[in-house]
Amino acid sequence: MTDDLRVAVSRDADIVTARQLGRELAGKAGFAGSDLTLIATAISEVARNIISYANNGEILLGLTSKDGRQGLWVVAQDHGPGIADIEQALLDGFSTGKSLGLGLPGARRLMDEFEIVSELGRGTTVTMRKWCR
Amino acid sequence: MPVPILKQGQVLIASIQAALTDQDLLQLQDELAEKVGRFRSRGVIIDVTALDVMDSFATRTLRGIAATTRLRGAKTVVVGVQPDVAIAIVQLGLTLHGVATALDLEEGFELLKQSATWNRSL
Amino acid sequence: MPEQRPAVPFRITEFAPSDIERRLEFVNLGPDDRERIAAVKPDVVDHLDEHVAAFFEHLNKFEESRGLTGRPELLEEARRLKREHLVAMVSGDYGRDYIEQRFQLGQVYSRAALEVSIFMGAFHALTSSIGRRIVSRFPAKPIDGFEYFTSIKKVAFFDIAIIVDAMMADREQTIRQQEEAIRELSTPTLQVRDGLLILPIIGLLDTQRAKQLTDSLLHAIRVHRARVVVMDITGVATVDSKVANHLIQTVEAAALMGASVIVTGVSAEVAQSLVTLGVDLGRIRTLGDLQGGLEEAERILGYSVVRGAGSFEPA
Repeated sequence: MTDDLRVAVSRDADIVTARQLGRELAGKAGFAGSDLTLIATAISEVARNIISYANNGEILLGLTSKDGRQGLWVVAQDHGPGIADIEQALLDGFSTGKSLGLGLPGARRLMDEFEIVSELGRGTTVTMRKWCR
Repeated sequence: MPVPILKQGQVLIASIQAALTDQDLLQLQDELAEKVGRFRSRGVIIDVTALDVMDSFATRTLRGIAATTRLRGAKTVVVGVQPDVAIAIVQLGLTLHGVATALDLEEGFELLKQSATWNRSL
Repeated sequence: MPEQRPAVPFRITEFAPSDIERRLEFVNLGPDDRERIAAVKPDVVDHLDEHVAAFFEHLNKFEESRGLTGRPELLEEARRLKREHLVAMVSGDYGRDYIEQRFQLGQVYSRAALEVSIFMGAFHALTSSIGRRIVSRFPAKPIDGFEYFTSIKKVAFFDIAIIVDAMMADREQTIRQQEEAIRELSTPTLQVRDGLLILPIIGLLDTQRAKQLTDSLLHAIRVHRARVVVMDITGVATVDSKVANHLIQTVEAAALMGASVIVTGVSAEVAQSLVTLGVDLGRIRTLGDLQGGLEEAERILGYSVVRGAGSFEPA
């Protein structure tokens, strides 16, 4: 779809770019004000995760619709070391050192749908969606 | 973009702008620590009114700033957290424990006035 | 006079190219139809005024369309869009712009509170007008005329589907907004004195309403510059763990804005069930009754009002 966006993420300034674009795009889809902040915050978390663990990657954003409801999808992917134990990574407070480890579980709480695929040595892909109420 | 820090008597006021990067936050931490020491400030007010997103890094750094300034004898108050941002922080599972909060600059000054650290200095 | 509803921004993402394809398949529009439509294009385009008039004159017959016919600006817009609509209908390109055009028209009708049932009647009058023109071209063989008209009708039905969908989407949006407004009204905050808010909550508390509560409370804190909020849940019959956690989040969010929240009216039953559910009530301050809560609030506020011995006003 022509509304898809891609943001390369390698410096901390990119985190801001990604979340601001996410906020704008979500605004176009008609999300309420408070949801815009939730979405921007979730994007900030996963973008930061990319930098912390994989040095660089990308964030893809787009709009979608299902059953007459508008939705926003976010894909955060990197080709970093991957996550050994995904279940653990999704637990609050888990950390391998570089951050407090709140990125993933936190982002999951803010969005409606959250999937993560990771392979050691290959990288990680996080897919999140939020739907307009 | 560096965060402007104003000095009003014994209080330092840092006004954060919207597009704040991690780098900017760390720089703020260093600058506040330095200035509190130099001016022997008693209070620090960090105004986050313009901040549209407060994520884990931001809250962690703010807690860090409060801890650092406390070691140097100053109390930090964060003011201006927007309702939407407050909800996001709480849903994210984060806290600003250890950091005093107030509605705005006025309330922030009020809070500093009452604090023990403050009165001890007078 | 029907109320004016705010215009819904067109959500172009509703229609992916595949959706459009599918809808054209639904009306069975094929290459033969496209040929026929191109052939009778003059019958539509050369008589635009006649066809547009058929539509609006039909509407004029009914009281129920006053929302549109009685409002000159909306009527003008509808007329203009209708003319463009008719030209596009026989121009063969049924892509995104085409869809957007119909969506716009649907929104105009929705804003005018035009019911689908009346719209259908008027649309029928319009297509009949077009049909008469087409058939009059084949005086010797009306059956041919009928075939051409059938092709036009396929596009007409394609159009109706979009317009009605747009009207319904707009209506759903309005209903949601009204529900929001009702929820707002049912969770009033009362400012008792400087810096103190009382928020009495009555009735069923579901997740949706709890969210509304949080929003109202936080905005009220900002507006009234509250430093203490007494949230009384005496009037709430049951509180499940989801709602309890939501209340806790509300308290924590309020704290970020510099306000302490005291929850009062937590009945023994509610307290028990929450404990059983494993909800950590230690994170919030609770008191048995509103009176106790108010006293605690005064205590907190009284403490805050004491001025320090010195001043640190800017030099």
